[in-house]
Amino acid sequence: MNRHQLGEFEEIVLLTVGILYKEAYGVAIIDEIEQRTKRQVSIGALQTVLRRLEGKGYLRSEFGEATNVRGGKRKRYFSLTTLGSRVLRENQEQRKELYKAIPRVAFPKS
Amino acid sequence: MNRSPDIKPDIKPPELFLRFFRWFCNPSYAEDIEGDLKEMFVRDSTRGNVAHARFRFSMNVLRLFRPGIIKNFSSLSFNNPSPMFRNYFITSLRSLTKSKGFSAINIVGLSVGLATFSLIAFYVFHEMSFDRYNKNGDRIFRIVENLRTENELLLQSTSSPPMGPRMMKDFPEVEKYVRIQNWSMLVERNGVSFYETDSYIADSTIFDIFSFSLIKGDKRTALREPNSVVLTETMAKKYFGNEDPVGQMLKMDNGQFAVTGVMEDVPENSHFRFSNLISFSTWSSNPNNKRGEEGGWFWNGFHTYLLLRDAQSVDDVRAKMKGFIDKNIEKGGMYYEDLPLQPLYSIYMATPRSWENGTRGSMNNVYILSIIAVFILLIACFNYINLATARASRRLKEVGLRKALGAQRRMLVTQFLGESVIVTVLASIIAVLLAWIALPAFRTLVESKLSLSILPEPWIVVVGTVLMVLFVAILAGAYPALIISGFHPMQIFRPSIKGIYSHHNFRRVLVSMQFVISITLVAGTLLVHDQIELVRNQDLGFNKNAMLLLPFNRDSAINNHLDFIKNEFKELKGVRAVSASATVPGQSTNNLYTTIEMTDGKMSPTNINYNFVDHDYIPTYDIKIIAGRNFSREVKADDTTAFIINETGVKDFGWTPEQAIGKRVELGSKGKIIGVMKDFNYRSLHMKVEQIMFVLTRGAGQLGIRLDDNDIPATVERVHEKWNELVPHLPFDYSFLDADYDRQYKADQQLGKVVGIFTGLSIFIGCLGLLGLASFAVERRTKEIGVRKVLGASVANLVILIAHEFVLLIVIALIIATPITWYLIQRWEQNFTLQAVINPLRFFMAGAFVFIVAWLSISFLSFRAATANPTKALRHE
Repeated sequence: MNRHQLGEFEEIVLLTVGILYKEAYGVAIIDEIEQRTKRQVSIGALQTVLRRLEGKGYLRSEFGEATNVRGGKRKRYFSLTTLGSRVLRENQEQRKELYKAIPRVAFPKS
Repeated sequence: MNRSPDIKPDIKPPELFLRFFRWFCNPSYAEDIEGDLKEMFVRDSTRGNVAHARFRFSMNVLRLFRPGIIKNFSSLSFNNPSPMFRNYFITSLRSLTKSKGFSAINIVGLSVGLATFSLIAFYVFHEMSFDRYNKNGDRIFRIVENLRTENELLLQSTSSPPMGPRMMKDFPEVEKYVRIQNWSMLVERNGVSFYETDSYIADSTIFDIFSFSLIKGDKRTALREPNSVVLTETMAKKYFGNEDPVGQMLKMDNGQFAVTGVMEDVPENSHFRFSNLISFSTWSSNPNNKRGEEGGWFWNGFHTYLLLRDAQSVDDVRAKMKGFIDKNIEKGGMYYEDLPLQPLYSIYMATPRSWENGTRGSMNNVYILSIIAVFILLIACFNYINLATARASRRLKEVGLRKALGAQRRMLVTQFLGESVIVTVLASIIAVLLAWIALPAFRTLVESKLSLSILPEPWIVVVGTVLMVLFVAILAGAYPALIISGFHPMQIFRPSIKGIYSHHNFRRVLVSMQFVISITLVAGTLLVHDQIELVRNQDLGFNKNAMLLLPFNRDSAINNHLDFIKNEFKELKGVRAVSASATVPGQSTNNLYTTIEMTDGKMSPTNINYNFVDHDYIPTYDIKIIAGRNFSREVKADDTTAFIINETGVKDFGWTPEQAIGKRVELGSKGKIIGVMKDFNYRSLHMKVEQIMFVLTRGAGQLGIRLDDNDIPATVERVHEKWNELVPHLPFDYSFLDADYDRQYKADQQLGKVVGIFTGLSIFIGCLGLLGLASFAVERRTKEIGVRKVLGASVANLVILIAHEFVLLIVIALIIATPITWYLIQRWEQNFTLQAVINPLRFFMAGAFVFIVAWLSISFLSFRAATANPTKALRHE
């Protein structure tokens, strides 16, 4: 019954936004992902996903403060919406079910 | 995270990419993403190398260029834009009809500009199209000569008869050759006789090399036999009417020629044109000439064209030329330094070599005319820009309303560009009509047929015209469109002076540029006129006035009884002197191989110009003898052994005039110099005087009859009667020496006339614009003028008030235009051996002239404003 299909990168972004809680804006999210998953993320890739997730209603955003380094431009802080957190949770449940369904012989504990 | 590291202000992200980002990014995302980009950039650059940071920034921007981020460009257009464009069209038409005066100025200005531009473009195209009608044109080359003589290097356009055949034998790259030579023939049939001065002898290969097509006759055999002739259609009509000329006989000079073919007339854009072609074998059937055809390597009376197998191989042939010369031609005191091959297409515009056949164009004139054409178009465009920006404030309300209703700037630009397109299209329709009407006059002006057939296919012309119209519309409309669409809607409600009346300086720049162009053209016209007058009134060293010329083509009836005939003419009332000669000043001379005794007593070979004259030539033409004597009838030996040389020749050989007398000269037979004459300009002042020698002849080609200055027409009539009585078989085809001689400056005079006329047009267009600007200024200041008047200003005060601004602009323009014109005219005068001094007064005259014309057009308006009843002005609103 799950209509809310998430892509792999979308899931990571959603999770990271959750991790950062009130500090989730562009550069911070990139840093966090790069640090935790050891993969390179471009602003382009991230921003596309952020806007798409916002469009789907999983994220909401608001302008924060402007700083000098940003050339006077404000930050946009993202946070999970209720729908967003529910989708993450459902996703996790679904994965758990899938894991459980694997026969033990096919999934040895290495 | 909010701690800001030290930012060095000089470290900036790449501006280009930042602008690109701002352009494409969805505006609602732009701010924070730009912030992110900059934050990362600053971090990267403080951490390490700036170049790397800039590179990362650029890469990030490029990777942001993806569907989710790019703004929705398509949302700017409407589903159904046609009502919008219809509205634009209607408002444009309304605003055009609302201010009819301004629209008329713009349309008239642009249409005159476009009409002149297209006429000149047509002319330039015609000039550039020369010889392009030849299908094999890129493979055709003319052999020309760089001939080294004792004293100089002669650049000649001619070649000698053995060159063509031998090159074809020695160079496998050469496919065919044709030799031609200009003959002047007296042609007679059924009592009708004319001089056909542009007859040519030619090898029969001429039809394979050039794209001349035969209408009747076989191109392989037509020019094979001696004494055969191929007529052009025009000439066939002239002598045979509607009869079929092929197979008939035609009397040319003293021989009977069989007509073997009729060909289409030579295209007008051919660098040499002819009325008939005579078989080359007519010439080579003479045993003397036959010898010349085989060994006369220095018989430089012909033009030879080669057809190569492919155009690229010309370099190979050129590389082998040195060897060819060494192998075939004996090296004497005179030798060929090189035999260059001149591409056919370049011949018409190339710097003329000596003995050119046919007509030559002038790249200089093409440049000058093109520049004028562009100038005139620019002036017209400036008018549009000036008037449109000056009147922009009138459209303020409309623009404000449109903006308030959600029009984007892009749409407004489209609207105003559309308006200039409408104006330009209207103007171009009128321009086509104008050009059509002016075409016959223009043809006379440039003395060229300019037939429409030389134009490329119609669709190219149409596409070209449309592109041209769009280009002009954008040139004229772009700036005003940007200005007007840039108004802030708030300005309607709170109009600031700055917003409405800005761009004033820009208009001033444009107006002064118009004045610069006008003054340059006027001063240029005056100075060109000065130069031509100087050249025409120059003391030439001989008297060219009241000299009647009668060619008789070496007719034996005259030459055998020359003294008797001369006497008969001399006895007529009004005739002062009569002389017969091969050529007269202004005609090309014969350049012949001669050996001359040098100061050290040795005989040295050289090439010298010759004229073959009679005993009376020097006194008849008022040429002065400065040493020795003229030919004398008493000294029988003079007939074959006497030479008279000019001053330049004496100087070149390092003699004094007295030393020159008695020097030995060998031209076929041996002789001596008996006299030295003062230099006279036997060619135009474009060329410096070169050495020339006079020799007596029994085979003259024309009579020169010096007339009394009064009642020339009656004298000419008496000469005509006598001519018919003495030599009724010869046409009385007379001309005057001064007119013939001045024809050498035809191109210059033509240029003067053309420049003069276009100058007038450019001033006309410029003044139209000025009139518009002034009337706008008056309109805007109606109230001010009213108040000033009430307070006691005089009419003169008010006129000066309006006009003083333009006066300043004219002064500035004069200052700018003077050095430009000075430089250009000085360059142009280098074409002459004698240069007129550039008269500074001419610039003041030009400035004053432009000033007066501008003043008149402004004053008319300001005077009307100044004399109007002030109460009307004050009741304005």
